Amino acid sequence: MKLLTHNMLTSHVKGVTKGYPLLIKATEVKVNEVDFNPQFVTRMIPKLEWSALVHAAEELGQRQDLPDELVPEYENNEEFLKKVHRVLLEVEVIEGCLRCPESGREFPISRGIPNMLLNEDEV
Amino acid sequence: MSSQDEDGTVEPGHNTAEPSTSSSNENDETTEDIITVTIGATVPTGFEHTAAEEVNEKIGVDARISKDRGRIYFPITTDKLFQVHLLRSVDNLFVVVEEYDHYQFKESKEETLMEMQQLASKLPWTKALEVWKRNGTLKKKKGYRKGGNGIKVKPNSEATDAAVADTEQQELPQAASAAECLTKAENTADMETSTQELEETAPEAKPIKFRVTCNRAGDKHSFSSNEAARDFGGAVQEFFQWKADMTKFDIEVLLNIHNEEMVIGIALTEESLHRRNISHFGPTTLRSTLCYGMLRLCKPQASDIILDPMCGTGAIPLEGAIEFNSSFYVAGDNNDMAVNRTVNNICHIQKRRAIKGSASGLPIDTVRWDLCNLPIRTGSVDIIITDMPFGKRMGSRKKNWDLYPSCLREMARVCTPGSGKAVLLTQDKKCLAKAISRMGGLWRKLHTVWVNVGGLHAGVYLLKRTGAVFGQTPEDVYESRGTVNAEGDEKGDKELS
Repeated sequence: MKLLTHNMLTSHVKGVTKGYPLLIKATEVKVNEVDFNPQFVTRMIPKLEWSALVHAAEELGQRQDLPDELVPEYENNEEFLKKVHRVLLEVEVIEGCLRCPESGREFPISRGIPNMLLNEDEV
Repeated sequence: MSSQDEDGTVEPGHNTAEPSTSSSNENDETTEDIITVTIGATVPTGFEHTAAEEVNEKIGVDARISKDRGRIYFPITTDKLFQVHLLRSVDNLFVVVEEYDHYQFKESKEETLMEMQQLASKLPWTKALEVWKRNGTLKKKKGYRKGGNGIKVKPNSEATDAAVADTEQQELPQAASAAECLTKAENTADMETSTQELEETAPEAKPIKFRVTCNRAGDKHSFSSNEAARDFGGAVQEFFQWKADMTKFDIEVLLNIHNEEMVIGIALTEESLHRRNISHFGPTTLRSTLCYGMLRLCKPQASDIILDPMCGTGAIPLEGAIEFNSSFYVAGDNNDMAVNRTVNNICHIQKRRAIKGSASGLPIDTVRWDLCNLPIRTGSVDIIITDMPFGKRMGSRKKNWDLYPSCLREMARVCTPGSGKAVLLTQDKKCLAKAISRMGGLWRKLHTVWVNVGGLHAGVYLLKRTGAVFGQTPEDVYESRGTVNAEGDEKGDKELS
């Protein structure tokens, strides 16, 4: 699971109102090289929940001094964009789990695939 | 065997030998003349225009769409030949030997077949054979990826298999007798040179092996595709002194007849390219060329988030991650085998890329989820693209009745109001059409492409997400026009689940 995906994932357990962002507990993390596309990163940043991304990167020990808040004019800062590119696309959680911040319900991650299926009583 | 000089046709054997002696055995493309030929391509029916667009974009020429569905034609110069192998919307490629728009078939079967036999020696084979030869060199040089990576794909048409079998049975006795009439020394020398050039392998002479595949459509023909393939194939064999072989052929000659349109070509692709990305198949894996066509329809932009909520083996998002790689793909399915196959297919491609030395990672992720209850933030997805259960091999018609509206509703929730799009493939057109009209406040139909998927008539629906804010549209009531202008409220609905 890449952190870009994590940024969109939310807990949908019945009754939960604050199911985002999911907490990450990782037992295996991999870093994979992905072609850098500055336009992709620049356009993606406004769509992200920035603090959730930074927090997730921190949970994995991959924060690499990303700021708490976005700096202005980041579009022209290639070093910054490359760091964002790395945490969005290159860092992957292979084994571990995601935890709903409100209910504590855990969703396992195996082979990089988070299993978000709910049981019948949770829907 | 006589030599004919009409229209640049020449004695077989001699001219195929000439280019080999004028250029060295290795890839000396600069000394070879550049010739222009017409290339034919088979594409998924319904996506002819998409394919023509791709040809225009990548090769810079205008393609002509044939009346014979699923085929396009375009000119190309041999120095640009490698570009045809970059096309993602074509299943098979061939070089045209000759085209007849209004071929007047004779009244009787005997006369028609006789004429076809005579045709074999009159056709302008030289240029096409030269292109075939260069294409063979290209494939070896570039380490051309074969479609399917070892997965054998059965030929689509059973009629053609039969035609080929007939050809083989008929031809062997003729070959023996024809060979006897020729000066053995001359014949062997020509064949040796040409096969060496073509195969670049064994030092011993090997006769070229070929087969003829005939596709015939039309109700006014007096002959069958079997008969045409057999007789035409027989004459081709006699003319070139090639050996007929149904399975291990070097050259595949194509005879395509559609009413009065007849095209003779030589195949440039060995296996169909349509299964190129998939090594782990599932029960309903979609052709990569069809996936490509669907993706082109929705025009992915840089940083678009593209979801396939029923991904199966991941064919669509994987094709996207490779071909439209400035977007990000999330492939999801509720089925355990499906998500595992998807990950296997992704890994396979990544390994292949790593071997070639490029960055192996792809912009794609896989999640196991329930598509009617997606664990995705509202309004965070730009495009939804998927192959919906047809109700034949997967699911059932009755299930579709409940599934389709729920799907559309949940897809509308996660999709960005106003700008979001959906591209949905289904054979259960009635069910989907009904579901779309029920969700009229959330989805608007933009365009439909009628396609053929494994013999079933299916539709690819391109939908646009209305500006209506989710949660204000009652599911079963047709929405009035007023709420469509609620684009400004988009942010208000970003509440998280």
